[in-house]
Amino acid sequence: MDHIPGTVGTTTADNGGDFDPRQAADLLDQVTRRARRQFTPLSPLLLTFRAVIVLVIFGGVWLSVRGEHPYTGHIGGRAITVAVVLVAVNIGGTAWVIERAGAGVSGPAQRKWQAWKGFMVAAWIIGYAITAPLYHAAPGHPVWGLYPASAPLLIIGLAGAAVAAAFRYWPLAGTCLAIAVAAAAAGFGGPAGSWLITGTGLCAVYLGLAAFTAGRQHRSMVRP
Amino acid sequence: MTTELDPLIHMPTRLKIVATLAALPDGDALSFTRLQDMLGLTPGNLIIQLRKLEAAGYLASTKTRNGSAQRTTVALTSQGRTALSAYTQALRDLLGGLDVDAASPATPATRSVQGMRS
Repeated sequence: MDHIPGTVGTTTADNGGDFDPRQAADLLDQVTRRARRQFTPLSPLLLTFRAVIVLVIFGGVWLSVRGEHPYTGHIGGRAITVAVVLVAVNIGGTAWVIERAGAGVSGPAQRKWQAWKGFMVAAWIIGYAITAPLYHAAPGHPVWGLYPASAPLLIIGLAGAAVAAAFRYWPLAGTCLAIAVAAAAAGFGGPAGSWLITGTGLCAVYLGLAAFTAGRQHRSMVRP
Repeated sequence: MTTELDPLIHMPTRLKIVATLAALPDGDALSFTRLQDMLGLTPGNLIIQLRKLEAAGYLASTKTRNGSAQRTTVALTSQGRTALSAYTQALRDLLGGLDVDAASPATPATRSVQGMRS
């Protein structure tokens, strides 16, 4: 039986047997992948689910308002109900994944992540809080129609990209920038079309991030 | 080419510990209970392996007390990360040699480690 130089005594004494390099490589990859999955707050499954959610929510609103001539911004009760339920499920799932990823972890990166979460919660609240006074100010329908589908996500995307870049979270910075681009592009779709453009844009962004995250999690430590 | 595998890491339980901690960002620490939960080890076994790694300077442990509860966290040191990086490189070198030998029917792959040793 061949042995790894300088390892025989230790592995035999500690483990009661030899530890082949192939077994070691497999174990290293297996443990690393599992640890990456458990420590990341960006679960590919959750991101894929989020991609479906945004498509259903924004697509549902688009189906609800696309026949309005002139555009009134009245969204059907069913679309609102579906949106509220899916957003609640998404918030619950996200909170669970973040809680699981950060359980028992402490240190500078964890503190930076907490700060990032705080910034993003503030950006979401500010982005959508502006909607209420705008509604009461009763601007023209085209403005009101574009605003909820496009402007809050533009604010959130740009703020998120700036904070993520400051923290050197480059994949998140790219994602937030892509969200801002999708929201800006939606502005060219008109009051009804902006919902569809935002929905498909966000869906593509989340699917891209899910694929990127899954690829990074499955990358081997040893094999090319 | 590096073919020496660090004997301190080249053992399943310790390899699991080091690989798990290396998945955290540099400087972050993991609680003893979470590490134990992730690896499915008994507290006694985990403590023994952690002590060996800590004695080699691969790990740093910190104990904090909050009232009557004591919390222990462990983190991979920069020396530990360097050691894992060297270990991974050694594995790559060894497996590269194994793959080359496996491609040649005249040389059984199982002899490649012996061949690299001589």
